[in-house]
Amino acid sequence: MDFRTRLLRTLRAVAPVLREPGILIAGSEVPNLLEPDARSTLVVSEDLDIAIPVERHADVKARLREVRGLAPSQEEPSVWLPQSADLIEVNFIGADMRSERAGETYVLEDSELPLLVFPNLSLLRPGKLLMIGDLAVPLPRPAGLLLEKLLTDRGGEKGDRDLLVALAVLLVCEPHDLEELEKLYLGLSAEFRYIARSGLSTLSLLEPRVQMPDPTLHRAFIAKLMARLERAERDR
Amino acid sequence: MNEALHERVRRIRERSLVRTWEYRQREYSKGVWFRLRRVLVDAAQAWIIDELDADRLEAGGHFPLRIGRELAPPKRIFFLTEEELAATSDRRRVPVRLCSKLLQARTLALVEHEGRGGEK
Repeated sequence: MDFRTRLLRTLRAVAPVLREPGILIAGSEVPNLLEPDARSTLVVSEDLDIAIPVERHADVKARLREVRGLAPSQEEPSVWLPQSADLIEVNFIGADMRSERAGETYVLEDSELPLLVFPNLSLLRPGKLLMIGDLAVPLPRPAGLLLEKLLTDRGGEKGDRDLLVALAVLLVCEPHDLEELEKLYLGLSAEFRYIARSGLSTLSLLEPRVQMPDPTLHRAFIAKLMARLERAERDR
Repeated sequence: MNEALHERVRRIRERSLVRTWEYRQREYSKGVWFRLRRVLVDAAQAWIIDELDADRLEAGGHFPLRIGRELAPPKRIFFLTEEELAATSDRRRVPVRLCSKLLQARTLALVEHEGRGGEK
């Protein structure tokens, strides 16, 4: 069974959760789903990240009772493991835009569904509702996802792949998405603006990898984006 | 309490402290790698050129980029036009990335992406 089929079956399995307002697919599967007909050709890890606003936590827990074919890991119940080979792992992660802890990395304690809350997920805003047949998949707006990926704090192969996922998102950005990116960028602290530019510079110099967007073909575009962010920085 | 998640939070916070420290170092020697990457972002091509060509370029008023002097051993890095590059006596193209060929070069000529003149 191909990866696309497993990804779509997993989305269908968690559809009750996806129907909750504010829930978003995050992470590397987004550019896979944004490919024409959700072809899912990028080589990324075999899991599906679902971002849950902390204020929706109780509603999501209620919805989890309707999920079939996946079960929480005993060791880390925020990870739901497939019970058959036709599904992939699901990771539930927390986004906090409102509480007094917004901006922190913290654990939302819960015996049933504890969540690791990542501050950069607050950059994600609801975007396109992707329809695959009768399945509605809530995706984030590209600008926030792109910035979130540029800020990802990982090194090595995983870090490089996250940057290539950022490139995949960048390649589907429309002019208005880049305007939104600029605004979001200017809303970051000076340290995070620097990290975003640093991520972009690393992306520009990466080697191509099989079944990932080739950064060497888009270096001029990345250079223009870098110059745009620097101009915005100077003019702020 | 979920120990595995708390352990991940602890590691993330530690990495965040390191990133903050790196940010504070950005104008000093540890920031050199970002500054070098930033220069290379604007380069469509990178070429190793001969020392004598680099001498000629300097004598002709081309200033090597400051970033080259921040590395040990120092490098002379120039942005050239295609025409200026074609006028060099010897050149060898290297990938625009932090690979050993580029890092070992003592004299580098970079050519900007098309249409980038004056954007920096």
